[in-house]
Amino acid sequence: MAPSPAEERIDRSGRRQALPVGSVDPVAKWDVDFRRSCYTVWFSDRASVCTASLQRGPVVAVVPFGRGGSQLVTVGTVPLEEPVAVSRGAVEQFGRRFRRDRVGLVAAGFLVLLVALAVVGAPIVAGLTGHDPTYQLPGGLDNNGLPLPPLSRELDAAGNPNPDGVFLLLGTDRLGRDVLVRLLYGARISLLVAFTATGVALLIGVPLGLAAGYFGGRLDMIVSRAIETAMAFPAILFAAGLAAVIGPGLVNVIVVIALFSWYYPARMVRSAVVSLKHQQFVEAAVSVGANDRRIMLRHLLPQLTAPIIVYATGIIANNVLFEAGLSFLGLGVPPPAPSWGQMLADGVSGGLYRVVPFVAVVPGIALMLTTLAFNQLGDALRDAFATRGR
Amino acid sequence: MLRFTIRRLGIGVLQVLMVTFLAFFLFYVISSVTGADPAQRVAGKAATPEQVARVSHLLGTDRPWYEQYWNFLAGIIHGDFGFSFLQRIPVSQIIFPAAGVTTALVVGAAILWLLIAIPVGLIGALRPRSAADRISAVIVQILISAPVFWVAPMLAYLFAYQPSQGLFLGIHIPHITFFPILGYVHPEKSVAGWINSLMLPCLALSLGFAAFYARFIRAFVLEQLDEDYVLVARAKGASTGRILRSHVGPIVAPAIVTLLALDVGATLGGALFVEVTFALPGLGFIAFNTIQNLDYPLTVGVITFAALMAVLANTFADIIQAALDPRVRA
Repeated sequence: MAPSPAEERIDRSGRRQALPVGSVDPVAKWDVDFRRSCYTVWFSDRASVCTASLQRGPVVAVVPFGRGGSQLVTVGTVPLEEPVAVSRGAVEQFGRRFRRDRVGLVAAGFLVLLVALAVVGAPIVAGLTGHDPTYQLPGGLDNNGLPLPPLSRELDAAGNPNPDGVFLLLGTDRLGRDVLVRLLYGARISLLVAFTATGVALLIGVPLGLAAGYFGGRLDMIVSRAIETAMAFPAILFAAGLAAVIGPGLVNVIVVIALFSWYYPARMVRSAVVSLKHQQFVEAAVSVGANDRRIMLRHLLPQLTAPIIVYATGIIANNVLFEAGLSFLGLGVPPPAPSWGQMLADGVSGGLYRVVPFVAVVPGIALMLTTLAFNQLGDALRDAFATRGR
Repeated sequence: MLRFTIRRLGIGVLQVLMVTFLAFFLFYVISSVTGADPAQRVAGKAATPEQVARVSHLLGTDRPWYEQYWNFLAGIIHGDFGFSFLQRIPVSQIIFPAAGVTTALVVGAAILWLLIAIPVGLIGALRPRSAADRISAVIVQILISAPVFWVAPMLAYLFAYQPSQGLFLGIHIPHITFFPILGYVHPEKSVAGWINSLMLPCLALSLGFAAFYARFIRAFVLEQLDEDYVLVARAKGASTGRILRSHVGPIVAPAIVTLLALDVGATLGGALFVEVTFALPGLGFIAFNTIQNLDYPLTVGVITFAALMAVLANTFADIIQAALDPRVRA
């Protein structure tokens, strides 16, 4: 991007707009660097390039001065009522890149549909078919007591398909319950647990990583050791044990999963902050008197939004499987509330799937597609944010 | 190097201590708060309070928690993980045979996933965006997202149960049983049977890892192939095979070894889902069966053992890394 004079800024459509500037060094030219979310400042007289944090208020650049020294120069001011240019520009760029990613769009579409089906669709389908996820259809099992396959109709008393019976798109389960309705209600629990647990994990991990990376020293050592120790835990074993001790239940499952996922964002944020905190925009913020809290929340955290979102998407994918795994072991949300892992376990335990494989295929595919979609969405977001990830 | 090794080992010991402490704390202390009393469980529902108190005294659960923890730690140093509440035999007598089963499973799976991942990753890296690369990328993405507790029963159905019925993918085939559906054959009984009983579980465990490793190898090798040293080697007339073997390999291999050490270490603590699905009496299977019985010494023993394996692998990987790369030692 070519440098623009200090009196201009770039608006969301890429046009240059006049900007009221009280510049101390009117010779300097500055521009918004969207990739790195900061201003790049060119000094005509010194032929040097500097960067400053993207903030409302004075734009301060650290300028090399003399031999190895540096000098602070105010090159312009973004008035308080002006929106900070980066948020719009970056969103614009992000949107443009994301819209070109077909796989990402399909994944996002699938997930939106899934959430809609889980939140709104589940009661609608339950209403249309006339039964809730725990209702055992009188004609839901065949004469051998086996579940009905997908695309079949409820049976009459003699065991023949009843043309007036309920149409079972995905068949029935071990107890003759409608799998479609159970799958939709199960999506509620899967998504609720995965989203909430990831949220809790971020609420623990991001502040810890931020503080550890920024302050360093003893705090960093404690947090780093805690992360390493947590990663040394046999997660599934320990989570299963924990779930067994504190008992099953929605909140307990969320707590257990969050306890075993906070260290991913913590580690990532810590290492990112360690490499960011010596950059000039932080020095500039320090030099204009910003305190630690302000630097962390207003200067460092905004830099990390993109990688955090990308990470969170991956953690959600993991946690969907984590919840299913716990439910599979009988340690998730207690029955009769449906959950995908529990439906899968229902089909697998006792070897029912060997006779009627669809009882394991249907919930397994639901799980796999959801995880796949979150993983693909994460990749697409990473590409669109142009951040470097795993 | 010696200083680094000592420091790293010290950290490893600290980590194991932390894990055992938390495991102990969790199962002994929280359970007493939530009212899940192992003595009650052992004594049975009909036991009088006096009987429960006596059982509690015998198990040692009436002592203060720090005393119990101290006894537990002192025991571990002697290789004694305590006494199972329910099976009434030393925990080590249960854990060590189970660890053997898990080790066989994990090592077999690791060999398998490397055998799959290395060729797939290299093909992807050498011919990026080719048909083979695209197809393998799709399969990799699917396998990364497929939960192992789903892959395992599906494999069992396709390759063990259906063939035993004379079917494969619904097509009639000659009646040959390739693999047992579940169960474990001890190598002392029959080595062929042992290998046969482990093949499907190893495959089930390896597929997810294979996909992950293939993606990792592809990305890493692709990045290296862009480097100048590869260009120089090409200019000097080195063949692709030679470039991979003599130039790229030595750079990529340590990273894979590190990753491998971590993953094998983490799975040695019990490949829970695979073991449960195929009824292999490994650590995960034992843990699964004991966790709900509140058999704490056994549960804590398995967790401690698993953590020990993970930390050992972690420490080992770091030391290897430091030996190969002096920059890490700082």
